[in-house]
Amino acid sequence: MNATRTICAATGFWLCLGGVVLAFLWHVSVGAKAIPLGTVWQAITAPQDGVFDHVVVRDLRMPRAIFALSVGAALSVAGALMQGVTRNPLAEPGILGLMAGATFAVIIGIGWFGLAGTAYVPLFAAIGALIGAVLVWTIASAAPGGATPLTLILSGAAVGGFLYAVESAAILLNEDTFRNFRVWLSGSLAGRDMATYLWALPWFIGGLIAALLIAHQITALAMGEETAAGLGVDTFKIKVAALGAVVVLTAAAVSVAGPLGFVGLVIPHLVRLFVGSDYRLIVPFSAIVGAGYVTLVDIAARVVLAPIEISTGIVTTMLGAPMFIWLVRVKL
Amino acid sequence: MSTTTLIGFGGRLALRVPYRAALVSLGLTFAIIGVLTWSLMTGSYPLDSTQVWATLFGNSPSDTASTVVWEFRFPRTLVALLVGAFLALSGAALQYVTRNPLADPSLVGVSQGAALVVVSVTILAPGMGSYLRPILAFGGSLAVAALILLASSSRRGGDTLRFILMGIGVAALISSFTSALLTYGDIDRAMSALGWLAGSVHSVGWDEVRWLSVTAFFVIPAFMAAARPLSAIRFGEDVATGLGIRVRMARWGLIILAVALAATAVAAVGALGFVGLVAPHLARRLAHSGVGMHLVLTGLTGALLVGLADFAGRAAFAPIQIPAGLVTAIIGVPVFVALILRTQARSQL
Repeated sequence: MNATRTICAATGFWLCLGGVVLAFLWHVSVGAKAIPLGTVWQAITAPQDGVFDHVVVRDLRMPRAIFALSVGAALSVAGALMQGVTRNPLAEPGILGLMAGATFAVIIGIGWFGLAGTAYVPLFAAIGALIGAVLVWTIASAAPGGATPLTLILSGAAVGGFLYAVESAAILLNEDTFRNFRVWLSGSLAGRDMATYLWALPWFIGGLIAALLIAHQITALAMGEETAAGLGVDTFKIKVAALGAVVVLTAAAVSVAGPLGFVGLVIPHLVRLFVGSDYRLIVPFSAIVGAGYVTLVDIAARVVLAPIEISTGIVTTMLGAPMFIWLVRVKL
Repeated sequence: MSTTTLIGFGGRLALRVPYRAALVSLGLTFAIIGVLTWSLMTGSYPLDSTQVWATLFGNSPSDTASTVVWEFRFPRTLVALLVGAFLALSGAALQYVTRNPLADPSLVGVSQGAALVVVSVTILAPGMGSYLRPILAFGGSLAVAALILLASSSRRGGDTLRFILMGIGVAALISSFTSALLTYGDIDRAMSALGWLAGSVHSVGWDEVRWLSVTAFFVIPAFMAAARPLSAIRFGEDVATGLGIRVRMARWGLIILAVALAATAVAAVGALGFVGLVAPHLARRLAHSGVGMHLVLTGLTGALLVGLADFAGRAAFAPIQIPAGLVTAIIGVPVFVALILRTQARSQL
């Protein structure tokens, strides 16, 4: 990278980061009782125990905003990695069955093994996501013609539909256990406790660091396997590492917020428009922009039909599905 | 081929009857009657088969038996069978017209379009008569079908596969609107709409049977008349044009028929997935035949599938009822996967 580009990228990065901070503050200030930004800032920097607004900000609003940031970053980076490795513009954890697998595993883990402890949720989600990914990939590559974007999406739809049906049947058979999970299933940031998040936090951090470390090699892989091998990249090792990172990130996101569709599709494409095809830039920018995006979406989900709240996952799908349709029309 | 030709009206009407297909359709009919009897017998008030048939023919052994059969079990089973046949035929027509083995009303968003309209009506205007539901559902599905077809057609060709992908995207979009409506609406109405959405036959009554039969009366004959253009379109538009078929008109006519069938079915019981995908392929496996006979077999297979799915969902974990839609999805997905594995070679992107 030459000097001008570095300066551009750095400026852009700090601008985006500033935008995310603003989105975060806005997210905290909006709600059933509007809290002025000044008070929000005070509550974060110099909290006082007796002040009601400060308690609301610190105990109720901030956790949710933090969930939104983390989930958005994780899903967007996962989507970017998947698009790079599979060289498929339509790859995304939701479309390719990882989210369905993670959701399914969490439901089964809670229903059958009675896992009340939140510590296991990310682990189960990760196992499920891995199984989902492997299943979709196996079906797609066994199809004549190999794992093209089309076969991947079709097998993703098949695996997703199947797991969804089994999951719904499991829920019907044991409604009491799953009462609390109805909202989570549609992808929502409401009502999750900090404990769950803290268990998922190492997963978020690990996944993001792994993604940043392999970003350089992903750029090479995105140019094609032969090119990557010619550039001295161990393609198999990088693919496995990328799969690991994607699974970990998806699992962390799903265990906090349930399935949020299409986030991983929209953000990397948006980012690529501005920063080009270098994954050393795409990965960090996806993380930042994705965090801001989900935060804004969550604001919309709470505000548009207030006092009723729409699930965040529904809003991300409303925004993301047209993008999917457009990509199918333009790129395929 | 083991066929015989019946010639009537001085040679003007020639009907080729393939033995095997005729036998298979007879077998399917008996199987359907078997499922019907079986599901009328089973439940929290068990009856035996003689009682069931006696009740159906008007001399019921007891008032309770009469109520159970006529008020609850019989309309429900009839709706399951009719809906199965409708969805199967709709899927077959979509597969022929788009020349795409993976087309299915629930996969390409047609069912979701109907579902969105019905949920909106249930939540926003709950007082509306149930007779309007299928008509509105038809409008919704038709809009979605037109949207997908227009969006997926392009000058570059290869639009049959793009059609499926487009459908998956549109289906996701429409489902998200439906879910949003469900959160917005009154909780009781939302819960009833939610049960309906999963593809459940258990709350239907004679009303649904009535409008399904009316639709069947108008649409099925049209379908049978369409067998000829369908068999030509199968070979591609150019061949069909050469054979003197007005392809454009036939295509749109058939799509409208397919959408009408799917929309009525969805308006009655909600989205039953994968029936339209599985039944035509199963029918083709059972017996090779011309398009007309294949449509007959497809309708029978679909009726049998949904009848069985409803029965299984009702009996497997009684007293909890698993919606038939979940059962059909669990059966349907493996078939879908098998189709993905087989069909890609012919239709590369």
